[in-house]
Amino acid sequence: MNSLLPAQFVALLRREVLENRALFIAAPAVLALVLSVFALWAISMAPGEQLAAGVEYLSIMFDGLSPGEMAPMFLMPAIPFIMMLYACVLIYLLNALYQDRKDLSVYFWQSMPVSNLGTVLSKVVTVIAVVPAFYVAILFVVYLLAVTALSLLGLSYDVEVAGLGYMFMAAIFSLFLFYVSAFLAALWLLPTIGWLLLFSAFAKRTPVLWALGVFILLGLVEDLIFGTQFLGNWVESRSNFRQYIVLDFPMAMDRLFSYDMLFGLVVGAILITGAVYMRRFVD
Amino acid sequence: MEQLKRIILKDRYSLLVTTIVVYMAVLMLEGLLTGREARVIDLENPYFDFNVEDWERFQQTRDPSPDQA
Amino acid sequence: MTDIVEARGLRKRFGDFKALDGLDFSVARGSICGLIGPNGAGKTTTLKALVGLSDVEGDLRVAGRDPRISRHKLMEEVCFIADVGILPKWFRVNQVLDYVESVHPRFSRQRAEEILATTDIPANKRIKELSKGMVTQLHLALVMAIDVQLLVLDEPTLGLDIIYRKEFYDRLLNDYYDGNCTIIISTHQVEEIETLLSDLLFIDNGRIVLDAAMQDLENIYSEVLIDAQHYAEAEQLGPVYHRDILGKRAYIFEAVDRTRLRELGEAATPTVADLFVAKLRGANRE
Repeated sequence: MNSLLPAQFVALLRREVLENRALFIAAPAVLALVLSVFALWAISMAPGEQLAAGVEYLSIMFDGLSPGEMAPMFLMPAIPFIMMLYACVLIYLLNALYQDRKDLSVYFWQSMPVSNLGTVLSKVVTVIAVVPAFYVAILFVVYLLAVTALSLLGLSYDVEVAGLGYMFMAAIFSLFLFYVSAFLAALWLLPTIGWLLLFSAFAKRTPVLWALGVFILLGLVEDLIFGTQFLGNWVESRSNFRQYIVLDFPMAMDRLFSYDMLFGLVVGAILITGAVYMRRFVD
Repeated sequence: MEQLKRIILKDRYSLLVTTIVVYMAVLMLEGLLTGREARVIDLENPYFDFNVEDWERFQQTRDPSPDQA
Repeated sequence: MTDIVEARGLRKRFGDFKALDGLDFSVARGSICGLIGPNGAGKTTTLKALVGLSDVEGDLRVAGRDPRISRHKLMEEVCFIADVGILPKWFRVNQVLDYVESVHPRFSRQRAEEILATTDIPANKRIKELSKGMVTQLHLALVMAIDVQLLVLDEPTLGLDIIYRKEFYDRLLNDYYDGNCTIIISTHQVEEIETLLSDLLFIDNGRIVLDAAMQDLENIYSEVLIDAQHYAEAEQLGPVYHRDILGKRAYIFEAVDRTRLRELGEAATPTVADLFVAKLRGANRE
């Protein structure tokens, strides 16, 4: 299957990015802009001495801490971006195998020698590895600008700003954590990814209603027929928010090779296989 | 095997049903094997067993009167 | 050599509607085959089935493969242009070239660019900014730069003005067709392509009603313009169709020896368009 070959696969990933520029690039960029403007406005409201004191405090508060220890604090400003990432990925997956059937461009895509497996996998890989990279890039620019602005501010008030450089390193390290967390969270949520892709490929209209409706229905049916709630139980076991953030490398490895993660990958694979075969039913 | 494949891949509906059945089977099996709690939410509905003639008794079970509280 | 397309008993329903109702046909290698039928006859469904874009029941082999199972392998040897503008609207021209180049082993970017140089299509425009005619030009340029065994065209010139239509067939036959590849083209504008075709397939209500090589037509079908006094004689020979023209009648006969028709008038081979109407109307009359 040559659509799994690097050159072809990269072309497929490039397609996903170009086709979804609005969700992957424009949305976080706009968010970054809005938050930056808001922050600048807030700063401009504060009196000068307070600002100087604030900058000074920032540059020394991290003394003695390693970047690894400081980094988690920088996941805080990243929270709105994390939320946006989830929202955008959700929309993307529901449309991924639906939109091109709706606007008929599927007849072009399917007239190319690209296998259904390659097509679906490229969308999965986009979610796991590519989209977080764009968010990291945008956050990097934001942090860079923030550090520059704070340094200039501090210098104008004659405050020691060398510590800000140290803080910046921590911020960069937090971006690394952001990416790894997003990567692992996506793997953890592979069953959800598969579920959304399955219904994206299946639905003739309103995939979101199908994806949600069938899920609720399944839960009710299981209870009615078997009296059990394994579906609900399983979903609940995966919804603990703490499972999604990773604070250091050993934690990441732990997550990755845990039984729950691996079982989730199996379940995700089942649903993704369904989506791949479902791609045959184009009309 | 070929026959089975043809039935599953007959149309999008048969494929969806098959995928979901396999998914649920795997989940439920895993739940059983790893000893997950079978029930998470209690969906029992007291109104389900409601009998109009027992109205008085029912009322008492739902809203205990002040002098009983 | 085996036929490049072998179809037996193709069936497809959309709800209650039978788009294909037991379709049987074959297409020989190297032919230019016209699939002609009225709207709703099943042309589009048939062609989509050939490239694995429509799931049908029955036996189907295209270039030795089953399109339902090996679509992506088949697409290395087969190209498809649909009637609607299916190139993705947000793509830029040069991005489409990049994509096809990375994805298609038989695509020659240089050839595509040479062809595009003869058009007015700018390289960095988005496809949604191009006119319908330009989109078809672009799609044809892409397809012509791929070395394939079979080209499947579903009403490729629908809605285009005459200049683009003429140019399309010009390029297709002069620049592209080399006798080795096969072209299957569907249309309901019969007159436009009848001079190009080597084989004919008429389709109506999901069935094939005629399957013949163009060169055989003159041996099978005859059209004679007949005066009123000979109508009865003509009817006796069992025509499949007639139409009135300027006080006379043009009768079309199938499998009737031309020597027998000589007394009635000059026999000629009907045009594909007239034959098409004859087969369709004639069938309905029975």
